[in-house]
Amino acid sequence: MTNAGISFYEKLEKRGVSRRDFLKFCGSTATVLGLSSAMVPSVAAAVEGAAESGLTPALWINGGSCTGCSESIAQATYPNVADIVLDLLSIPSQETIQMATGEYAEQAIEASHEANKGKYILIVEGAVMTGLGGNTLRVAGKPFIEELKTLAKDAAAIVAVGSCAVDGGWVRAHPNPAGGTGVSQYLASESIATPVVNLPGCPVNPEEITAVVIDVLMLGGLEKLVPKLDKYGRPKYLYGQTIHDNCPRRGHFENGEFVYEFGSEEEAKGYCLYPLGCKGPQTKRRCPITRWNDQTSWCVESGGPCIGCGSFNWVDNNAPFRGRYRRVGQGVFGLQGGGVEPTKLAAGIGAVAAVGLIAHGFGMKAAGRIGKNAHLETETVKEWDAKHQKKQGGA
Amino acid sequence: MANTNIVIDPLTRIEGHLRIEAVAENGVIKDAWVVSTLYRGMETVLKGRVPTDAFYVTQRICGVCPTSHGHASSMAVEAAAGLTIPNGARLVRNILEAAEFVHSHILWFYTLAALDYVNPAKALQANIADTYALAEAAGTKTADFKAVQDRLAALVAGGDLSIFSNGWWGIDPVKNPAEADALYATDMPAELHLIGVAHYLEALEMQAEAARIMAMLGGKFPHVMTSVAGGTAWVPTEEKIDDLLYRWKKVRDWVWGAMVPDTLAIGGFYKGALSYGGGCGNFLAWGAFNREDQKAENRYLPQGIIKTAEGLTVSQPNVSKVKEYVEHSWYASPSGLNPQEGKTKAISEWTDKTYDLEGKYSWTKAPRYDDAPMEVGPLARMLVGYLSPENESNKAIKGIVDYALGKLGTNDPTVLVSLLGRVAARNLEAALICDWALEWVTELVGVVKAGDAKFFEPYEVKDGSGAGLWEAPRGAVGHFINVKGGRIDNYQVVAPSTWDLSPRDKSGVLGPMEQALVGTPVADVEKPIEAARIVRSFDP
Repeated sequence: MTNAGISFYEKLEKRGVSRRDFLKFCGSTATVLGLSSAMVPSVAAAVEGAAESGLTPALWINGGSCTGCSESIAQATYPNVADIVLDLLSIPSQETIQMATGEYAEQAIEASHEANKGKYILIVEGAVMTGLGGNTLRVAGKPFIEELKTLAKDAAAIVAVGSCAVDGGWVRAHPNPAGGTGVSQYLASESIATPVVNLPGCPVNPEEITAVVIDVLMLGGLEKLVPKLDKYGRPKYLYGQTIHDNCPRRGHFENGEFVYEFGSEEEAKGYCLYPLGCKGPQTKRRCPITRWNDQTSWCVESGGPCIGCGSFNWVDNNAPFRGRYRRVGQGVFGLQGGGVEPTKLAAGIGAVAAVGLIAHGFGMKAAGRIGKNAHLETETVKEWDAKHQKKQGGA
Repeated sequence: MANTNIVIDPLTRIEGHLRIEAVAENGVIKDAWVVSTLYRGMETVLKGRVPTDAFYVTQRICGVCPTSHGHASSMAVEAAAGLTIPNGARLVRNILEAAEFVHSHILWFYTLAALDYVNPAKALQANIADTYALAEAAGTKTADFKAVQDRLAALVAGGDLSIFSNGWWGIDPVKNPAEADALYATDMPAELHLIGVAHYLEALEMQAEAARIMAMLGGKFPHVMTSVAGGTAWVPTEEKIDDLLYRWKKVRDWVWGAMVPDTLAIGGFYKGALSYGGGCGNFLAWGAFNREDQKAENRYLPQGIIKTAEGLTVSQPNVSKVKEYVEHSWYASPSGLNPQEGKTKAISEWTDKTYDLEGKYSWTKAPRYDDAPMEVGPLARMLVGYLSPENESNKAIKGIVDYALGKLGTNDPTVLVSLLGRVAARNLEAALICDWALEWVTELVGVVKAGDAKFFEPYEVKDGSGAGLWEAPRGAVGHFINVKGGRIDNYQVVAPSTWDLSPRDKSGVLGPMEQALVGTPVADVEKPIEAARIVRSFDP
């Protein structure tokens, strides 16, 4: 090991990160990236190398956001991931934590922009606000879209963190009075070709950003990540499987054991939340594996059905959130304009005839109980559902 | 002396986008404008959706206090349905909300505000042995001060200050320590700066620990998933309650052991900040944390209205007296409506003259109570609690506030109506809430043991209207819903920042933060750190 390497470990130890913790972190990162454990030393070497060869400049700007993605990053804790990321990136601008304010904050962005043209990563949180000529968001006395265009043109690549930056998020939901849209759509309309990595989700999961940063370090440049992206600009290793694919409640789904009422005994037993509108089968995200807040829990584990915040145009496509999809496998939607038309939603839990409690049809045990092709036998299903009506909640 | 114009844009280390304009004369701000520069259209997005969806969508108003918005939203739907949630759900919600308050207050004091009072460069000069001695004398927690100092030294020596770039208002603290120092309390010892920085770093972990409590109960933070209208989707088990207790004790020990003594120690060097930044002197709290009767007038954090000009007394609020004005806001909808019937329609055109300090200049409406601007937030809550008729809450609040006043060398609660009072109120409240949260966890154990615990009440709402009046960490929050045919016909939110960051109203009366800025002394108009301190003290 080089002297430089030693000092990196010393630095980590000063921050309370042991070598074992660090390697554990590299191991979990390798798993996220779809690499075998044999690649752990490569991950470690990439991180070490980056830490020793100077910080990669990153500019973080906030569009129409709730600051939830910045908050999310602040929750990255084990094994001191935030520290490692801070060690790898130079972030002269991050509105939520930076020391500078006012024109000094603008100068910090400008100085880094000038010094690192073509080299910096631009991280965008929040929707691109196009309404009223961009005046639905003004920063430093001018429309935010002006700043976005200037910085986007000269960036090596852009990371759009969170659903708002990816496609406008809830801000874009019908009837979208404020003109919120996503970074890639907006830049395409302005003919700015800088590659964009999309990390949808409301909010972004900090581990997702970490994984991308490490991957970029290994690849030697964010632009080299492009072949690993799917057609929506998402890293395939992060958005390749549905929530349902990895859900710990999946066994109960197969057994036809469902929760019909919040806070019920069935919930305490960890039964499947599909009848309450869970969008896990339609949503591609890693929540059951990565979980949230230092792996403390995730929505479904705490009794909250997935609302599909990682899917495109998630509010319009998934609301009413308590409504069940007609078919379990449906979902996954194109960006607005082109792409796949959004699937029509079941009207809601109350509309039993329309929904038909399809969930039972897919649960093997329930299918056995109510016959083959149960999801088509709506009358039988309605009867089955009616028994549980009293326990159902929500409008 | 000539007037000087001050512009701070963007005002960083807050949630959202904010521009401050002010005019100073002889080093004192004599006029101020607070400009919200972002419009996202939440209320329009909600129209036509089912009432239960509002819980999920409205949390996205604010990524720092989503739980409170979700909670207020569920309460509005419950009010429209005429529903009272089960006692078990009440406790779970209290514990979840408490975690958000404490998380938010820790994050605010250390991550967002501390850099206005604590100078990391100065910490490099601290003597390590003296730092331990000072920590002991101040009754605050120690840390590995040497390691923290080394880490800071390495950052400065590396020449790339990352998030600390252009800090200290553009002054290089290494080349110009005296100038950097002048923006802070010059007599504050380097050792206290080092303690502040050490706890700044620990605070990152402690706010995350509080957030983990929310993740346990709510699935994730930000944007929790369980406080749905009707109760909660989270069901406690013995194992989960054990975990809750462990985490709460850890957070509580740190808040009482570091945050409270740090506040009093650092505040002791900024006593001048007791004499300005008070603002409009009117306070509104809707109250938060329900007792078993779930009555709004019997909450742990009491509801109330104070107009200090009319004497230090509390009256009970009446929501029908709330009106929102838009004469100086970029809205085309009618002015002076009560939010239950409110309308939110943005202007349809933007020209060179649309930004006009004499006319419309903010995306925030101007809410008024009985036509008066109202400050909301921890200071409002602590004053309302302090002055409320004697009960358990009043005793607890009075106890901790009087203790803090004693440490600052006074027994006059009116000094709290100031910049320093606003800072202290927030941190004292965090300590109180930690203690209450532990009580609620114990109560929850009792409920579970009794074996008849219920956490959700089914309901239906086809037609009706209601308000969820509650508190977010940064102040009174109101969600107002009208339901027709099972769909949202109208939804209005009056967020804490709507009250505090209000622009002028139809009569030209300044909003609370604008009033707090007026009268503030600014030592260096080029580097108006005092103005930034005022703004951040509201936790916008």
